[in-house]
Amino acid sequence: MADLDPAPKLDQFSAEASGWNGRQQSYRPRSDWKTRVSQNVRFHEEQADDIDPITYEVIRQKLWTINIAHGDTITRISGSPVLATLDFNMSILTEDAEVVLNAPYVQLLNAGAPLGIRYILETLSDRPGIDDGDIFCCNDPWIGACHQMDVLFAAPIFVEGQLFGWVANAGHQYDLGGIVPGGWPQNAQDVYSDPIVLPPFKLVERGEMRKDLEAVYLRQSRLPDLVALDLRAQIAGAVFARGQIVALCNRFGAPTIKAAMRRMLDQAQRAFQQKLLLIPDGTWTEVRYLDDALPGNRAAQRTQLNVTKKGDRLIIDNAGTDRETPGVNGIPFTSWSGSITGIISVSMLYEQLFAYGGSERQIDYRPTPGLLTCVNHPTAVSGGILQAVTMMNAAQAVFSRMMACDPGLKEDLVAPCSDFELPVLVGYDDRGNFFGQALLDAFAGGSGARSFGDGINTSGPSYSPLSMALNVELIEQWYPILYLYRKEDADGAGAGKWRGGTGLRSAITPYRAQSMSIITNTAGQSVSAQNAPGLFGGYPSVAGHYVVRRGTNLADEMAQRRLPDSIDSLTADETVTLMAKSNGAVLGGGDVFELRVGGGGGYGDPIERAPDLVLNDVRSGWVSHAAAQSIYGVMLSAEGTLDAAATASRRDALREERSHWQQPAGHHAGRHVKPASGEPDRAVHEYVVATDRGDERVLACSKCGHSYCGYTDNYKAGALSHEGPVMLMPTAQDPSYYNDQPIVLRRYCCPGCQVQLSVEVVRADEPLLAEMMLT
Amino acid sequence: MTYIVGVDIGGTFTDCIVLKSAADGSAVIKIGKASSTPPDFQTGFINSLRAASAMHGVELEDMLADAHVYHACTVGTNALVERKTAKVGLLTTRGHADSIFIMKAGGRLKWMPSDYIAHVAKQTKPEPLVPKALCAEIDERIAFDGNVLVQLNEELARVAIKRLIEQGVEAIAISLLWSTANDRHERRLREIVHELAPDLFVSISSDVSPRVGEYERTIATIVNSMIGPPMRFYLDALEVDLRRHGYTRRLQLMSCAGGLIDADFARALPVLTIGSGPVAGLIGAANLATAAEVGGSRNVITADIGGTTLDIGTIFNGIPVRRSTASYDQYEYYAPTLDVRSVGSGGGSIIHTDGDVMRVGPRSAAARPGPICFGRGGTEPTVADAAAVLGYFNPDYFFGGQITLDVAAARAALAIVGKPLGLSADQTAAAALRIVDSQMADAIWLTVTQQGYDAREFVLYSFGGGGGLHATALARELGAKTVVVPLSNLAAGWSAFGIAASDALVTAPCGIGLSSPFDPALINDRWRALEAQVFERLIAQGVPRDAVELEHHAEIKYALQVNEVDVVVEGGTYDAAAVDGMVIAFEHEYERLFGKGSGYAAAGFTLTGLQVHGRAKLSGVSFGAIDSGEAGGEVAALKGSRDVIWYAKGGMTVSTPIYTGPALAIDNEICGPAIIEYPDTTIIVEHDAVAKIHPSGSVVITLGSKA
Repeated sequence: MADLDPAPKLDQFSAEASGWNGRQQSYRPRSDWKTRVSQNVRFHEEQADDIDPITYEVIRQKLWTINIAHGDTITRISGSPVLATLDFNMSILTEDAEVVLNAPYVQLLNAGAPLGIRYILETLSDRPGIDDGDIFCCNDPWIGACHQMDVLFAAPIFVEGQLFGWVANAGHQYDLGGIVPGGWPQNAQDVYSDPIVLPPFKLVERGEMRKDLEAVYLRQSRLPDLVALDLRAQIAGAVFARGQIVALCNRFGAPTIKAAMRRMLDQAQRAFQQKLLLIPDGTWTEVRYLDDALPGNRAAQRTQLNVTKKGDRLIIDNAGTDRETPGVNGIPFTSWSGSITGIISVSMLYEQLFAYGGSERQIDYRPTPGLLTCVNHPTAVSGGILQAVTMMNAAQAVFSRMMACDPGLKEDLVAPCSDFELPVLVGYDDRGNFFGQALLDAFAGGSGARSFGDGINTSGPSYSPLSMALNVELIEQWYPILYLYRKEDADGAGAGKWRGGTGLRSAITPYRAQSMSIITNTAGQSVSAQNAPGLFGGYPSVAGHYVVRRGTNLADEMAQRRLPDSIDSLTADETVTLMAKSNGAVLGGGDVFELRVGGGGGYGDPIERAPDLVLNDVRSGWVSHAAAQSIYGVMLSAEGTLDAAATASRRDALREERSHWQQPAGHHAGRHVKPASGEPDRAVHEYVVATDRGDERVLACSKCGHSYCGYTDNYKAGALSHEGPVMLMPTAQDPSYYNDQPIVLRRYCCPGCQVQLSVEVVRADEPLLAEMMLT
Repeated sequence: MTYIVGVDIGGTFTDCIVLKSAADGSAVIKIGKASSTPPDFQTGFINSLRAASAMHGVELEDMLADAHVYHACTVGTNALVERKTAKVGLLTTRGHADSIFIMKAGGRLKWMPSDYIAHVAKQTKPEPLVPKALCAEIDERIAFDGNVLVQLNEELARVAIKRLIEQGVEAIAISLLWSTANDRHERRLREIVHELAPDLFVSISSDVSPRVGEYERTIATIVNSMIGPPMRFYLDALEVDLRRHGYTRRLQLMSCAGGLIDADFARALPVLTIGSGPVAGLIGAANLATAAEVGGSRNVITADIGGTTLDIGTIFNGIPVRRSTASYDQYEYYAPTLDVRSVGSGGGSIIHTDGDVMRVGPRSAAARPGPICFGRGGTEPTVADAAAVLGYFNPDYFFGGQITLDVAAARAALAIVGKPLGLSADQTAAAALRIVDSQMADAIWLTVTQQGYDAREFVLYSFGGGGGLHATALARELGAKTVVVPLSNLAAGWSAFGIAASDALVTAPCGIGLSSPFDPALINDRWRALEAQVFERLIAQGVPRDAVELEHHAEIKYALQVNEVDVVVEGGTYDAAAVDGMVIAFEHEYERLFGKGSGYAAAGFTLTGLQVHGRAKLSGVSFGAIDSGEAGGEVAALKGSRDVIWYAKGGMTVSTPIYTGPALAIDNEICGPAIIEYPDTTIIVEHDAVAKIHPSGSVVITLGSKA
């Protein structure tokens, strides 16, 4: 193993080119950013030389506990349903804004703190200055927030006049203006239709709230009183955590606490380096499409995430992503980088308990500004936050593929979980009260399959482990609706040797409503083409949907003492499927709305799945008979028992069918020869192994030995490929309903043994995708 | 002459205290101890009674002839842990059975340890409590306002119930949406089940936990049905045994709500007995703090430190803090319980290294194989091993001499663990104690902070087998000035004491969903119905009507906020003014809990629940009356000294005086460093602390008071 270099690097945010100043392009500190901090700020940099491991462990625990109590203080004081669903996160940072700790809530949300704080240090430390007792506020997505609705509060910690560190929290607000209540305007042309944007300002000055600035903060909100309460809660949380850390410094000595903080960073860095060294060098890529930049567009935009691993470092860029356009598919640098660290935190650094900060020292972000995943001002970004979920799932796919290259890391990989569908109900109840809130059932989507087992049904998102589905009774108390059902979905998860966790279906109808309409906003292509990608021959999960059935016979059914198991069992005058982004579909009495929430991606070839597991899936309602037969090749008798002989011959037939698949069209596998390395075989995919063949290092099938290509080539070029309709996946709908660009299902298998290697949902004009190019 | 009997069945031992009170008001206490005898716990129960009667010098039959028997049992908990529960069928509203599989998605992880939450690849959902095949969805629907939107389809329900019976269910749980607003369909379904299978154990959610929130209510109802049959079996057997030995009164059981309930009520709602053991300790502490003012404060944090867990409770102004949910595995369910939180830290917590970091727990050697020094096959060093190596424990007087500690084996194992960090066995032991003390203190601090209190304003009560070992260190870490090791002389019987000291307590709750202004007529209806329930149950429990004290509680929240606050409100007949009073009480309490200006009154208020608590004194045992012997006199209990390593003093070895606890007299003062040895617990008195024997027999340690 190569020597580790634990010396802190600052490459993670360094952007030497000019233009990253938070005005048009996002703010990114340059490596010399500290030279622009005012002389008035005295950084506390003294650290104890040698902190014993016991003191370290004691302090680490205490910092963790303080950070959790910081969050508890916020939820307790605010009493807000938004913050109670844990749509926030909190962190502890060093004096120069490295994240020492964050929390198990929405991982992405802390990405703004290190950026926003460095911006404050660079630009505000002279005037208005940074003093003991101050708290800064910011929701500028080009500086320190993922989108405007997740507002950052950052409190400097002073010890004996020196800036010791920071505590910060970022939390979602009810409303901060913009053209649609709630802050996800799916029809914003640009940022001027979005909620208000506030660059960092000092809201609390030496312990006193600035009334004038508070008024500015609240003025554009439709619910200023409630936003004011949450504001106080977020400030109280930061004040509490700051006080606790000062007390810790008084007790143990600030240099000792600082040494422990640095060591936490170093440990995260070291752990990350060690894991990266287990993975071969190369570039992994994931392409995801985002539907409709604006309602009615009927076109998807392309994003691409490229992660290059070299030694113990990562270079991450967004080359291949479409340029920004009017509309709401863009995310700023904060969300993009946060989506990556969020996934690293839960998949590669879970032992650090969300103290992932030091890992960022190993990452060089090289985004091209002006592309959809690193948009410039004034592109709209508030509604785009959902696309950060798609980016997290892209990162999940990429890191999982990388982790499959090492037997230990493979145990920790997870296929992506469902993407995010956000229907918002707006209207008046029969007492004349306005309501306008999202149905957050997407928080009960399925998780992705693992390398050793199935994903978890209705688990909630991997990137925010504690996000919850609320009780139906609680929701019916708030909004004038009746849930007809909320149940686990059939065929909603990606099929595979290990299947994804299934998602759910919920159906509602108005009850005691004066009026009601539905606004939809959707991540990726999660209602048109697919939800979560699968891994290594596992299928993606199919798209969810928003279906409205108008003028149903529900009332008659109910009068007959019957409730529907499915909206399809009702008669209706009209059935409308809503688009990814849509505005104001009316839901009247007797109308029914069904939300289908996706499952997780599958892992491995489904015809390798143990037939008795498929039988159990069918009996439990997670997989249909049709899918058992067409996807898994499992045949059940009329009585619902397993027919082993028929299953074996069905699976043979499926392999036979695959043997007629073609060499990928339009791709001439120019072979790059890499000499044999003399190293042992190394698995780089569930079914692909790097191995020496004669004097050449090649990629070959780990099951039958068939050689696909040279070590540095795209293994898919040496595989057989089939392109068909997305509807080959049971219950998938026709993407052409949503999208004018043809979208297809591409599958690849081994020419030797027909094991399925990869399944993709891509635009028909998409060239052969290279998910992994080793170097 | 009357005997008050408190029996606490634990996993290993069954402890019983028997208090003999004479006509002149004097009382004599004896402890009986016997091994627990799962699965027939009643045998150990009777054995412990026999042991105590022998201590009193009477025959068991003579004692039981004039006894009141109060009991906390773990039968329900054990059945759940070992999965020896009844096969349950679930009836629920069509479209909503999957609630128990969805488990609120990530909400299921709320009380799980952080390392589990962080490692998403290793997360899972537990086995369903009821398999899909045994869930039946019933066509019926009630809305939040109580309106019946779909009439109960009885014909289809009968078919579904028959199917479950054919599949061999041993109990049925019925939980329908909005049964809190209208329980008609649940009751009717229960009648139908009884018609079809008269002996089947049935629970309905509107009885078990009438609170809004179908997931937690359904889980409570299922858990109740799962443990109903084993509980019924156990109580039947126990009552037969008790009667055979001459007991004639009604058996009373401890509930997690912090009071005693009648055995028949416990048969119907066994879910109330889960967690009642730790609750008894909290009740005992509340009694000691209010009646005898031990420690000088009515604000108390309790730390019950056992082999595998630390159970944390809080008493504010003499009243234990409550919560509305309890957890089993990842399942959270409604239960009116005292807020006792368990953390995986105790004497059996394993000391290990992770890279260049030392960690203690959360894995535990538990009772089996246990710490290495117990010599029962343990191979990984634990907190108890570290304590033995540091000299805290007397190798020849552990558990009153019942276990001889193998200190050499513990030392050898600690040396191996410490080696990668360059630490000797002694240094490793000192480090482990420091880490675990800090960890326990952090967990306590976080609990109290989450409840909205400042730990420094509390007295700490530290009990359980490890209570004395960690007491001073925890107080020091928390900034508490006083720590009490309650009734040290009778430490083993502490929970049993709490049971004997408990009142009869019946809580009758109802879920409700009223928006302000609240309709007084509706509230009056509910109050009267709940009061009637309370009286009915307490009278059945043998309590005279005029001995019942009622307390009315309302659960209110601001319409647009989620924090629900339980406030004690006036009883009687409500009018508009009384409703206003209710709201004022709520706003006052809300500000106290969450801070000034944290409520949003402009949105209006929601009344989510009403509860009537009925309480009546049973034994009337008060710790204030306990007489532990003579006061004053010289400290005559010095037993000798031994070398002890004090980690708080940088690992310094000090020849430390050792005292025999039972030989100490009231008001005796012992200055730290010192160790006081009792048969069931060892109390460590750190350097700057002074221990004093309270008249109750409790050891009260004051920190930082040494001149």
